This record gives sequence, C-alpha cells and structure tokens, in this order.
Amino acid sequence: MSLTADALDHLVSRLQGVLRADQVLTSKADRFNRARTPAPFPVHRWSEHVPDVVVLPESTDDVVTVVRLANELAVPIVPRDGGTGLTDGAVPLRHGILVDVKRMNQIHEIDLDNRTCTVGVGINMLKLNEVLGRYGLIYPDNPASYPCSLVGGRIGTSGWSLIGSRYGHTRDLVLSFDHVLPTGEVMHVGDGIGGNITRSSSGYQLKHLFMGHQGTLGIATRATLKLFPKPEAELSPFFAFSDYDSAHRCVGALARAGVATFAGAVLFDEWKVAYLRRDDEAYIPQPSDVKALVCTALYGWEDEVRVGGKRLLRITREHGGRYLGDEISEGDWAARHDRYATPLHGRTRSGQVVPMSWHCEDASISHTNLPAVTRAWHAIVTELRRRTDVFDDWGMFAYTNGATGIDYLTEIDVGIWEQQLGEEAWRLWVQAKRDIAAVTLRYRGSISACHGSCREGEVDLVPEELGRGYGVMLDVKRLLDPNNIMNPGKYGLDRAYEGGGR
Amino acid sequence: MAGPNGPIGYRHAEQTTPPPAARASDVAITRFEHVYEVDPRLMERWVLQQAFPNWDTLRIMHSRHDHLAWMHRHFAERVVSGAELLAELDAEPPTGTTEAPDAIQSEGGSP
Repeated sequence: MSLTADALDHLVSRLQGVLRADQVLTSKADRFNRARTPAPFPVHRWSEHVPDVVVLPESTDDVVTVVRLANELAVPIVPRDGGTGLTDGAVPLRHGILVDVKRMNQIHEIDLDNRTCTVGVGINMLKLNEVLGRYGLIYPDNPASYPCSLVGGRIGTSGWSLIGSRYGHTRDLVLSFDHVLPTGEVMHVGDGIGGNITRSSSGYQLKHLFMGHQGTLGIATRATLKLFPKPEAELSPFFAFSDYDSAHRCVGALARAGVATFAGAVLFDEWKVAYLRRDDEAYIPQPSDVKALVCTALYGWEDEVRVGGKRLLRITREHGGRYLGDEISEGDWAARHDRYATPLHGRTRSGQVVPMSWHCEDASISHTNLPAVTRAWHAIVTELRRRTDVFDDWGMFAYTNGATGIDYLTEIDVGIWEQQLGEEAWRLWVQAKRDIAAVTLRYRGSISACHGSCREGEVDLVPEELGRGYGVMLDVKRLLDPNNIMNPGKYGLDRAYEGGGR
Repeated sequence: MAGPNGPIGYRHAEQTTPPPAARASDVAITRFEHVYEVDPRLMERWVLQQAFPNWDTLRIMHSRHDHLAWMHRHFAERVVSGAELLAELDAEPPTGTTEAPDAIQSEGGSP
C-alpha cells in the first residue's frame, strides 16, 4: 500500500532536508519508469509496483542517510541499479523509497600493479572497459545485459557471465565492496579484510551472503574488481547439427576438453532453430535439415586460441557439426547482448505478427539431464500456447556454467504479448513458472543459474530447494533487517517476521 | 548538381520504390542482400509494415554491421577465422579421437 499523502509529504520533506532537491524525484515519469524490469510484468497491475519517491544518492554516506530515515519512518526501501534483472529484484513490491544508484558511477582507482580497480557500483561494465582498454585490461563480467546493467546490480543478483567459463562469474570477479546494511551501518565485505585480497581463510566467508540477495540485505556502494589482460584474440565458431542428440553430445565434449582459453559453449535446440529460422537473418536461409546448433567461444593470446580452437574444431567435426562460416559465427557472437536492445515480435497461432516482450525461465541443469528437462519444459509452454496467443515458445538453449561442463545455465525463451495480459493469462503464466521450477527440482537442478528465483511462481519452491538453508535465510533476514524495510515481499522473507524462521 | 564522385541527389520515387521481393522462406522475403523482411501477409492485423526509404533500410543494415565490428574490437584485439583453422586442420595428417568414448560416461539422471 502506498503512503498516505501526509506521510509522503513528510517523507519527501525529510529527504529534501538531507539530499539536494535534484536527488529526490517525485514526478510520475520518474517513478513509473522505475516500476518494472524486463521480466514479465503484470502490466494490468502496473500501479501496484510504483515507488512513492526516487532518490539518487552520490555517495555511501547518502545511502546511509536514506536507509536510516527509512528505518525511522518504517518505509520500504528498494535498491535499483540498471534495472535489467529478470527476477524483479529492483521492483518495489510495497512502494516506498527507490534508491537509484546510477550517479555513483566513478572510477575511484585503477591499480595497475595488482590488477584491480575500485569503482562506484553505478558504473556500467561496457563504459568501465572502454577506460580499462586504454591500459590493455578488461573486467570480463559479460551478461546479456552488458551494455546497460551496472556493477551494483551484478552484485545484488550474483550475476552470471557469458564468458564465465574462462574468467569466472560476478562472485569470482568482485573482490570486495562497501555495503550499507538494512540498519544503515556500513560494512566492508570480501575475503577476510577485503580490499584487493582474493583468498582468505580468516573468519566466515561472508562475501557470497551479500551477493545475490536481490536487495533484501542492503545496498552495495563501492566495489573492488579483478582485472585481466584484454584478450589478444577471439574465436567463436557456430555449428549446425542434423539432430539434437549429436549436438548435446558435442557440447559436452567441448566443455570436457580442458582447453584453457575455453570461455563457453552453447547448445540451441530444435525449437530455438525454428524460431531463428523464422525471424533471424542468419538462419532464414539455413536448410531444413538443421535441427540444432552449437557454438563455442575462446579468448586469450592468439597462439593459445589457435591451438585450442583447432582442438575444439576437431571435436565438433567428430560429432557431425557443420561449420556455419565466419560471417554467421562472428556476427552471432558479437550480437550476444542484443536481446536487451532489439524490438521483438512473436506470432499468433495463425501466424500473424504481434509485439512481444522477451522472457526466459532459467535453471542449472546437469549435462545428462538436459534432454529430459528440455522435453518437459517445452511440454509446459506448448500447453500455455495451446490455451492462448499471449505466449510463444522461442526455444531453449543450454550454456556451460563452468569450464568442466558439469552443469548448464538452461533457459527456455518465451515471447509474451504483454498488452494482452490479464488476470487469467497472468495466472496461467505463474502456474507455468511453478511447473517449470518443479521439473528442475525433479531432475536435481537448481531453480535459477542466473536470474534469481524470487518472482511469483518459482519462489514457492525455493524452500523445497534449499531445505534447512531457507530457514537460515529467514533467520539472517530477521537479524539484519529487524524492521523489514529492505525490499520487503521478496523471496517470501516476510515469514521471517511471523515466527516462521525455523 | 554533381559531387566529387558523380551526381548526387535524392529522388523520392527512387527511394520509395524497393527492389522486387524474392521469397526467402515460407515466412520471409528479401529485397536487398543480407536484409530479410517478414512476409507482408503476416503483418496485416496486429502490427502493420512500415514504409522505409531504401537508404534507411541500408543505413540500418550498415549500422548493425558497424555495431558488431565494434563489439569484437571491444573484447579482443582481433578475431581468429574459424574457416582458416578448419583449412589448417584439413591439411594436417589425421589424429586420434579427441575424447574418451561415450560408453564410459555416466548415463544416469532419471528422477
């Protein structure tokens, strides 16, 4: 429920007393633009998620001031970075204060000797790398949202990187950070003393606890990041297969090959190929016997990439892969971030084009379980589409989580015709998400490899996935956020305040 | 009027008359190399096709290529050609298999 007019006036007045006028935004445009993320959104209930006021802090002290005020007035507070997350971490479920960190985007230090940099969390990785490139360095955190997501959001969601099999994911790349706890205290968290230390056995390992909490345990403000030499060479071959099973075996063999410059491998299933053949310029001309695709990417010094690349090319050839050529391979890899920027359209069952937003449900699935999960997930989305034109199955892909190929970020992409969403379609969608998560758990997977799992539907199954660990989450939440002001309503954590901690 | 490389000018009729369409698939047509359009029959109800002058269609395509080239340079100094590596492989004497046989891998995973 939104604040009453009097309470809002009081809150804004108090905020304007501690921040400049241009750091406190109350207009409809400023608030409505920060109500949602790219995840499917019940647009027919948009007004339920609009913040009462937006603040733009410029320092850790600004954030501390706002968090303390929120505690004093018992007003919900929600951090928002790029707003590109897919599990609604930045969506203010209970209105209140939205903390937009974009102005904390300074590069405070580049330490060339120790290969680290310290930045405000409002900086975007692409912009950071434009600066680091001048020094021959790169910060290789590479989500699909690379051009528009921010370092702080990557911390709050414990992000997943497209080249993580080579360089690690966000939790490996962020060494330490300043963090404002829900009570307004400031903590520096990392391995041991933090700073630019990469490994410590001193004390509890708290860094992971304060990454991936979706804004429920506080707000990161300043981070020290691990840097690498900017790669000399890149190789990204794409291959066509006549059947899914051969492609599945091939992607596993690529991941298990032990090539040091291996940055990732991806398997696209038959549904994804059909979607691409419908609307993607690279695949419209492909022959009909193309039923699955595999791509891989390598980064490093050119001599290493060439040797490793030849090994991986031999593997794909042995598994029946047909090289799609340099133009498609290089173009598709360079386009890996583009679904955040490209207008999308789907089809009704009669084939007519309709405007759709892109969405994907994700999970971590072991290699051996990919075929069964793929079949089960498509059956769920096929049933959705049978019932309404609001949903369109855009296929699945599986992407290596790491260099040895144990498990895969597994996604089913679903086009959603948001203008046609109503209560009934939304109910179908939430149930489908619940069913998708249930399949994941049945095959001993994790509900999310990448996005988080705190939206309607899948969040119901998180206690089942985590077991006693979920009770610990409730205990931690209650301890650190005694007034439940920090992003309330997420992950079912309200029950921490209902005597349900254990 | 003539520019340094010959006549320049904008002729409205010329720019708004696209080349004839060739069918690319059941659901797509093509008028320019590397440019595909949804079959106009599929854009008659919910989303209608927009008229683009030819220069704008080509500008969008070239901008896209510029963007992709920029992204390669952003992540690495150069791109290794897969076709070139495959040609090198073809010229090499055959080697043994690159991985242990599938038979020794676990095939478990049923719930």
